[in-house]
Amino acid sequence: MKKKKVLASVKVPLLAILVSLIVGGIIIALTGSNPFKAYYSLLQGCGLAPKKSYAGYKNILTDFLSYVNYFTPMIFAALAVAVALRAGLFNIGISGQMLVAGFTATVIVGYSSLNSVLAKPLVIVIGIITGGLAGAVIGFLKYRFNINEVVSSIMFNYIFQYVISFFINTYFVDPVSRQSREVSSAARLTLMDTPVGNLKMDLPLGILIALICVYAVWFLLERTRTGYEMKAVGYSRSAAKYAGIKVGRSMILAMTISGMLSGLAGVTYYLGYVGSIQPKVLISTGFDAIAVSLLGNNHPVGIVFSTMLITMIGKGSTYMKSVANVDAEIASVITGTILLFSACNVYLKWKLEHSKREKEDK
Amino acid sequence: MDVIIIDGLSFALPLFIMAIGGIYCEKSGVTMLAVEGLQGFGAFTGALVATLATVNFTGNSSALFYLAMLFAAIGGAAFALIHALLCLKFKANQVISGVVVNILAMALTAYLTKLLNRVLFGATSDKFVLATSARITIPGLSSIPVLGAVFTNLYPFEIVIVLVSFVMWFVLYKTRFGMHLRACGDNPHAVDAAGREVNRIRLSAIVLCGALSGLGGICFAYSISAKFSDSIYVGYGYLAIAALIFGNWRILPTLGACLLFGFARSGGYRLVQILKMPSSYQDLVMILPYVLTLLLLVFFSKQNGAPKALGAIYDKGGR
Repeated sequence: MKKKKVLASVKVPLLAILVSLIVGGIIIALTGSNPFKAYYSLLQGCGLAPKKSYAGYKNILTDFLSYVNYFTPMIFAALAVAVALRAGLFNIGISGQMLVAGFTATVIVGYSSLNSVLAKPLVIVIGIITGGLAGAVIGFLKYRFNINEVVSSIMFNYIFQYVISFFINTYFVDPVSRQSREVSSAARLTLMDTPVGNLKMDLPLGILIALICVYAVWFLLERTRTGYEMKAVGYSRSAAKYAGIKVGRSMILAMTISGMLSGLAGVTYYLGYVGSIQPKVLISTGFDAIAVSLLGNNHPVGIVFSTMLITMIGKGSTYMKSVANVDAEIASVITGTILLFSACNVYLKWKLEHSKREKEDK
Repeated sequence: MDVIIIDGLSFALPLFIMAIGGIYCEKSGVTMLAVEGLQGFGAFTGALVATLATVNFTGNSSALFYLAMLFAAIGGAAFALIHALLCLKFKANQVISGVVVNILAMALTAYLTKLLNRVLFGATSDKFVLATSARITIPGLSSIPVLGAVFTNLYPFEIVIVLVSFVMWFVLYKTRFGMHLRACGDNPHAVDAAGREVNRIRLSAIVLCGALSGLGGICFAYSISAKFSDSIYVGYGYLAIAALIFGNWRILPTLGACLLFGFARSGGYRLVQILKMPSSYQDLVMILPYVLTLLLLVFFSKQNGAPKALGAIYDKGGR
C-alpha cells in the first residue's frame, strides 16, 4: 500500500519533467543544435558524466563537489517554500530573506577577524535569526492586518534589495569587482580550493546542515503536534479554528520557520557559494525554489531529488553553452515549463486516477 | 513642483491601466498575481514588432509607437491564456499559477530576446532598443498655474490610457457584461443560474487583464527605460496589485492609489536632486513606493472588500 502511494505521488512529477525535457529538446533542435548532446553536456557540467578534458587540479569529483556547493542553498530554499505551503501560506520573499540574512552575516562576521571555529557557527546562527525575523514579520502582518503574504513579501524583497544595495555601495564596495568586499575565509561556509591529493576541491559544509534540516522538517511536519496544527491550518483555516487550533500562532510560526530556512539558504549562498554580494540583484534561487518544492510534492525527501534535478539544469547550462552552443537562458525556460506542469499537479493526479477507475469499471 | 507632477503622472498612469486589468480579473473571481509577467511579455511583443518595423520600413515614429501598443496588448492577452488554461481548465491553485506565469514570462522573454536578436537582426544583444516617445504639450491648458503641469510634456500614451480606462470604467459598471463579470466574483452560482457561462466570462476577464497589462508594460518600456530588457521586471506589476487592493477593488480609488505611488516616487527623486545628495541615495528613494504600499496595506487591509468568491475554483455541482 505504502509503495503504491509513493509510486502515485512520483508519477505526475516524472511526467512533468519528461514533457518539459521534450519541449526543451524540440526548442534546442529547432535552433539547430543536438538536444541529446545538449542534455548530456548538462550532466558533464555537474560532474555526473566525464568530460573529454579537465583543467589542472580538476576532475569529475571536483565538478561534482562544486555542483553540491551550488545546490545546497536550493535545498534550504525549497524547504522554506514547502513549510509555508503546507501551512497554506505562499512565501515568495525567500530571495529577499536570503539577501538580508546573507548581508547581516557578512557585515557582522564576514568582515571581522574571528577565527573559523567561532565564525562559522556564528554565521549560521545569525542567518537563522535574521531570516526568521524577516519571515515572522510577514506572518505577523498577515495575521494582524490581513495583508496578503504574497504582496507583502514582494514589497520586502524590493525594500531589502534597495536598502542593502545602498549600504554596499556606500560602505562595503570593492572598487574593482563592484560587489561587496569578499568575506574572510574563516567565515566562509565552503572550504574553497582545499588541496586533496593532486586536486583542489570546494568542500561545502552546508550540505551537512541541509541534510539535517531535511530530516528536521520531515519530523516537524509528520511527527509533532505543532506540525500537525500547521498542516490543519493549511487544509482549512476555519476547520482548524473550529477544532481549537490557534490559527494566527500557527501561521506566524510557519512563516518564522520558513524564514529561518531562507536565512540558512542565504548564508550558504552568500557566505558559501559566492562569498560576496552583488548590489541591486535579487537572485532567482528563491523563485526557482517554488518549482523545486512543487516538483518534490512539498515533501522534504522529494525536495532533495527535485533540487538535484532543477539545479542540474542551471549549473550545467554554462558548460552546455560552451560545448553544444545552446543559450544558457534555455535552462530557465525548461525550469519554467516544469513548473507549469507541476502547477497542474492536482488535476493531472485526479485525471490519472479517474481514467484508471473508468478502466476498472469496464 | 512641475517636474514632480509630470514624472509622477507618467509613472502612475501605466500602473493604473495594469491595476484596472487586475480589477477586471479579480472582480470575476480569479486571483491575478501574473500582472508582472503579462506586462513584461506584452512589452516584449510590442518592442519586437517596433524593432522589426524600424528595420523594414521607415515610417514616422509615432505610428510605430501605436503599432507597438497594439501588439503589446495582443501579446499580453495571448500570454494571459496560459493563466486562463491553468486556472479554469486545469483547476490549478490560482496564486501558484500566477507566479508560474511570471517566472515563465521572465525566462521566455530573456531567451527569446537573445535568440531573435541573433536570428532576425544578427546582433548579440539581450535587449531591444526603443526610442523614447515624443512628448506633447497642450497649448492653452498648460498655462494654468500648478494644474497646467498635468497638460505639459505629456507622453501620447497617457492620453490613450485615460481614454481606455474611461471605457473600462464604463464597461465594468454600466453594462450588462460588467454586471455579469462582477457577479462572477461574488456569486458565480447565481450567474450560472441566470444562464451565463461562468468560465467564459472569467476567460474574457483574464484575457482583458492580459491586454491591459501588456499596454502598461509597453508604456514603461517606452518612457522609463527606452528599451526592452529584463529590467522591465522591477515589480511594477505587483505594485499595481497592491494599488488595487488599497483601492478596495474599485477603479476610482485605485486611481488615487496609483497617483500616490507616482508622486511619492517622483517627489523622492526630486528631493535627492534638490538636496544634492550622491546618486547612491537614489536607491533609498526607490523604496518609497514599496514602503508606502506596506504602510497603506496595514491601515486598509482590515476592512477590505475582496470579491467573495475570489480564488475559489468554480464547481458547477458544488454548493
